[in-house]
Amino acid sequence: MNRTDSQPPAPARAGAPATPPLAFGQPVEVYACWNEIGVHGSGTCAELQKFIRCENCPVYASAGARLLDRTSPPEYRREQKEYIARRKQLPAQRRHSAVIFRLNVEWFALPTEAFQEVSERRPVHSLPHRRRGMVVGLVNTRGELLVCVSLGHLLGLANVPPIETLRTLHQRLLVADWGGSRIVFPVDEVCGIHRFDMQQLQEPPATLAKSNQTFTRGILHWEGRTVGFLDPNALFSALDRSLA
Amino acid sequence: MLFLLFQVGEDRYALEATRIVEVVPLLELKPLSQAPQGVAGIFDYRGCPVPVLDLSALILGRPADELLSTRIIIVNHPDEFGTNHLLGLMAERATGTLRKDAREFTAPGLQKGSSPHLGPILMDDSGPIQWVHEQRWLPQGVCKLLFSERAPAGHEAS
Repeated sequence: MNRTDSQPPAPARAGAPATPPLAFGQPVEVYACWNEIGVHGSGTCAELQKFIRCENCPVYASAGARLLDRTSPPEYRREQKEYIARRKQLPAQRRHSAVIFRLNVEWFALPTEAFQEVSERRPVHSLPHRRRGMVVGLVNTRGELLVCVSLGHLLGLANVPPIETLRTLHQRLLVADWGGSRIVFPVDEVCGIHRFDMQQLQEPPATLAKSNQTFTRGILHWEGRTVGFLDPNALFSALDRSLA
Repeated sequence: MLFLLFQVGEDRYALEATRIVEVVPLLELKPLSQAPQGVAGIFDYRGCPVPVLDLSALILGRPADELLSTRIIIVNHPDEFGTNHLLGLMAERATGTLRKDAREFTAPGLQKGSSPHLGPILMDDSGPIQWVHEQRWLPQGVCKLLFSERAPAGHEAS
């Protein structure tokens, strides 16, 4: 680069350190006051009144910025050049979201918009003359009595606890609302909301139990687990029919 | 309003964050032969060639320090036709941001002609910060040289 060839020698910079800049990997001498009088030390620094934590203090910030006043490691500029030249791969948009929950040992998901809330464990009151089927009972949800239904029984899962046990033995209650029908499901665990794309949804395996298959729209892979993504339309219409 | 702070020598400058496309590290540039003073070279920004101006070379006549704190600020630079082009500004100590109201910057009260670099100024504890537009630093003709060759029709669509 011939940038400075025809130029007069660069004037001495006022205030610039006379020593050459530190090379990469050379230690920067800083007085780590945050370890002495700051939050990692005695906490007696008067500035803490203003900044609460050392991370908000300009002394801490300027010490951090001094680490950058070193020359770059070898090959750094070339690596960065190659990195910036690459076209940015935008992550997939993942337009859909689902709530993932667990029933016994199996994981399921339903669209997030099907749920109104996840509530803590609370008593489920039994209904008289309802000894069979999948209705667990009635639950008081914000002053409203809603029907509590065992999804495990509807899906025909193996090893689901009997209805009587479900009244007390559940961890969370999922309050669902699909097309105006509000129903509560007791579940063992709720893992939160997961965003995904419809392309990520895989076909359910043909070996799935028949009743299960009609409700499963696809298989999602989430943190190494296989999650059955349920079809809300099929599920809630089946529930409506069975409750009628 | 958010500003990006940087230094040219010992002077501190602020650039509106809304004009900035990306701040990239000081990467390897391809020097341009016969380039005017201050044009450090070009680099490939995600498939698009971007010229880089070395602000230290433009203003102080010495190249910017090759430190990790020296970075290339990619801005949207409008040409005389109002079309935005990507332009890289190599600036020292481009490590901080500042959130200030635009009204807190005051005009220095100097004629623009006397010092072409002066813009609105904000005083803080460690001295003045100038709000700049890189247009002030561009020597006549550099912008024309860099961007005047308008892309032939169809080039941008491809």
